[in-house]
Amino acid sequence: MNLSLLPSEIEKAATEFGLLLEKCSNLDAAMRLKGQYIGREDSFVAQMMGLLRVAPKEQKRELGATINELKSIWENALRDRQSLLVEERRRNDASALAWDNTLPPPMPLKGALHPLTSLIDRLVEIFRPLGYHVEEGPEAETEENNFDGLNIPADHPARGAGDTFYFAGHQELLLRTHTSPVQVRTLKKLAPNIGKKGGIRFLAPGRVYRKDELDPTHSPMFHQLEGMLVGRDIGMHHLKGTLAYAMKSLFGSEADIRFRPSYFPFVEPGCEVDVRCPLCFGKGCRVCKNSGWVEILGAGLVHPKVFVYAGIDPDIWSGFAFGMGVERIAMMVSQTPDLRLFFENDQRFLASMGGLG
Amino acid sequence: MLVELGTLQKEIPAIVGMDVPKLCDCLAMLGFPVDGVEINNGITVLDVDVTANRGDALSHRGLARDLAVVLDSPLADIAVSPSTEGAATIIVSLEADACPAYATAILTLDCSKPNQTPDEIATFLSSMGSSAKGLAPVDASNELLHRYGQPTHAFDADKLKGNVCVRWAIAGETLLALDGIQRTLTTKDMVIADESGPIALAGVIGGDSTKVTESTKRVFLESAFFDPATVRATAHRHSIHTDASYRFGRGTDIAFVKTARDLLVDRLISWADANLISSWTVGQCNANRTTTSLTQNKIDRVAGSSIPPEEAVKILTGLGCQLESSNGSFNVCPPSWRHDLTIEEDFIEEILRMRGYYNIKAEMPILNVAPEPLPDSYLQKQRLSKRLTHLGFFQTITMGFIRPESDSRFIDNTKETCLISNPLGVEYSAMRRSLLPSIWEVAKTNQRYGAKDVRLFEIAPIFQNDSAGPKETFYLGIVRAGTIGGEDPLTPGRPVQTADLIAIARDIGYGGAVNIIELGQGAFGLEIPLAELPEKRETIIPQYIRFSRHPVVTRDLSLFVPVSLCYEKLEKTIKDSLENAPIIEIRCIDVFKDHKLIESGKQTMLIRLKFQAFDKTLTSEEVEGWVSRAIEATKMQGAFLRS
Repeated sequence: MNLSLLPSEIEKAATEFGLLLEKCSNLDAAMRLKGQYIGREDSFVAQMMGLLRVAPKEQKRELGATINELKSIWENALRDRQSLLVEERRRNDASALAWDNTLPPPMPLKGALHPLTSLIDRLVEIFRPLGYHVEEGPEAETEENNFDGLNIPADHPARGAGDTFYFAGHQELLLRTHTSPVQVRTLKKLAPNIGKKGGIRFLAPGRVYRKDELDPTHSPMFHQLEGMLVGRDIGMHHLKGTLAYAMKSLFGSEADIRFRPSYFPFVEPGCEVDVRCPLCFGKGCRVCKNSGWVEILGAGLVHPKVFVYAGIDPDIWSGFAFGMGVERIAMMVSQTPDLRLFFENDQRFLASMGGLG
Repeated sequence: MLVELGTLQKEIPAIVGMDVPKLCDCLAMLGFPVDGVEINNGITVLDVDVTANRGDALSHRGLARDLAVVLDSPLADIAVSPSTEGAATIIVSLEADACPAYATAILTLDCSKPNQTPDEIATFLSSMGSSAKGLAPVDASNELLHRYGQPTHAFDADKLKGNVCVRWAIAGETLLALDGIQRTLTTKDMVIADESGPIALAGVIGGDSTKVTESTKRVFLESAFFDPATVRATAHRHSIHTDASYRFGRGTDIAFVKTARDLLVDRLISWADANLISSWTVGQCNANRTTTSLTQNKIDRVAGSSIPPEEAVKILTGLGCQLESSNGSFNVCPPSWRHDLTIEEDFIEEILRMRGYYNIKAEMPILNVAPEPLPDSYLQKQRLSKRLTHLGFFQTITMGFIRPESDSRFIDNTKETCLISNPLGVEYSAMRRSLLPSIWEVAKTNQRYGAKDVRLFEIAPIFQNDSAGPKETFYLGIVRAGTIGGEDPLTPGRPVQTADLIAIARDIGYGGAVNIIELGQGAFGLEIPLAELPEKRETIIPQYIRFSRHPVVTRDLSLFVPVSLCYEKLEKTIKDSLENAPIIEIRCIDVFKDHKLIESGKQTMLIRLKFQAFDKTLTSEEVEGWVSRAIEATKMQGAFLRS
């Protein structure tokens, strides 16, 4: 190949070709370069063919060979570059089509039970294998069921309008102040058949009302869960065994309980039950006020007067009852700082508490 | 109740040296949890919680009595010089049976001398949350109340007019009490009266006219027993809650009235150089206690283990009970200060309490009763709430009471509101007749806090009044508001529509007409009584529904349909036309309207028909025949196939 036979601008183009081809970043640019160098018209090859036609005879051979060589170098280089660019475009197109798996996926909607419902459900599940079923009672109750049947004296301060909500136009009806009237209803209902059945076991979860202003630890409406067992020869040891099992099921196998004497008119003996603080395991923390124990429920053996009121003979039958504040336990296990959150129902709160119980 | 450690130690010396946390634990295990401990200038004060049945424990002496039994250690003697019963210088008569015993004394003294009360007593009174008045009769009475639990009172004897009697008030009589308030009395109030009228409300508060002042020269003392219920009722009726009414109302020790009087006399002599003129007692100071029979079997049954009889005897005797034992049972008579021991169980509780409740073993009762199934109503609520959470909804719990009439736009007018006669405030004064106002409030709160897609439900009773009183009916309320989707690249966002709530209603098995209420912009509510939703029994048996394994043939029809024709009617027309055809589904899968290519008054619906036979693969000829029948039928309704 003898480039000196060519005019200087073609000679320059021949030396620049490699560089120009390298700069072609897409197929269009490569096609433009192809037109410029080896196109049918106005290309360097076309110019050179014109030169060849008018070249002196002795140079024709050498010039022809140079032109052919140049042409074939250009063609090959262009083909290689083109296929490279085609491959690159295919690659880009493919990645444009592929889904980026790191994008946020369409998530299924997530809802949640109210934490108080989940806790009640959990407690029902815990007591179910022990033979407890669920009894429900109305929120609008009679004074008989809410107080009289539970051995609460007629002049007890809890009966006053300062503690209990009464219905206008029906002064004998009130919003139940605890779930214990369900005891009265259930005992009365089951009394005629108790001999045949051999005993009674049930839970009574539900909403109750007391005349307290809404604040971080009080609410005029809250939830209780009542439990009762009636059988023969039932004693405090049965109550302790049952509650120890229930609290281990709720708080984990290391949970421990203790009984302290206390007083409720509808049980005798009566007790308050503490659970070993489930947050510090008894080491002492803010929740248990450094005592290592937190009060969790009230309980005792059913008072004979409660049996007599319902028509059950206390010389034959004995039993125990316990009652717990659902919010209190929920707040304790979840460390919720303010009772009002349970009634504000912020979806973020409900979602985060979805696993409670 | 506040307890000063030093004074408690004087009553039960065994606790000297016991560290405070241990003492608190000991009290808690006796049933007296300590709510707080305060130490000021070396004086330790415990805030002890005493249950309402334990009036006897509302004093240092009272708590010491229980500690003495549990620590098996003696109580300190009460330092008192019993006075001789003398002649009555003023005639005192007990006319009301609610006052069976009244011990009194008359002393001369000079109250004008300042600072009669010893410093030690003044400090004690200030630990008890009150302050010394510097008048010996007043401060001594106050000290005795906290120390021994017996409230006493001193009248200025020179201000008394004639004889004194304890009687029921005459309706309309008035008393200007020590708190400066004049009260009009009823016939159920017991008073101490002289010949001018009431001079004190028995067991509750003294009168202003006879109070002891610096000029008092002679005092007339009162140490009496007043019936607890009478005192409670009077305190409640007149809203006067004093340290005295608190203790009389829970029951004091009738056998202690003379001792308390003597203790008061002793103090007046020692602090104020008083001279005793005479002391005497009216009525009977014997406690009227009935004997209860206690059997070993019952003790063991309640305790859950065999309690040695001698241990039971020791505990009950230690608590002051009198016992006679005979053949495996005891006859027990409680001490005069214990009003709470009336039945067998009460005494057994005492035995367990003193042995320590931690000694009760834990044992599971044998399951000898067939468990009952869970009630359908409970299972229904559980099923519905779980399903709704699976559908992405959050369960709310809101107050049962609302502001009256805030539910009126959600209900029909036949439901009468139940009102609360003593509400906390007007916003809590009516039981709700609809759940929607409460859930809608919650939805708005959530939106205010930035929630885009609000999905809420609540299951709770609504209340309406009928002749028998409030009637409760459980309802399910659902609110959905805001935007659905728009939170990821694949799910376009769109506003919530009524159809979204209809879908929920259908999903949970509601077949009736769905009454969707538009609560606000892009917010919809729905309320259904639970009685109209399916119940699920615990013993559910699923029912097999046969399905075909032959191929499904699908045909989509694009129909021009008058906008006046509802889809339900169109679907029924198609269904009726295909009566004997194996059609398994007719479903509108798309609707176009308001488009320039569609003439006004018309819309297009894309209807998908699915055919499938149980016994064979369908041929296209068969299917085309049914499809033409369907198209013909829709023509009768004004619909026609889009070409």
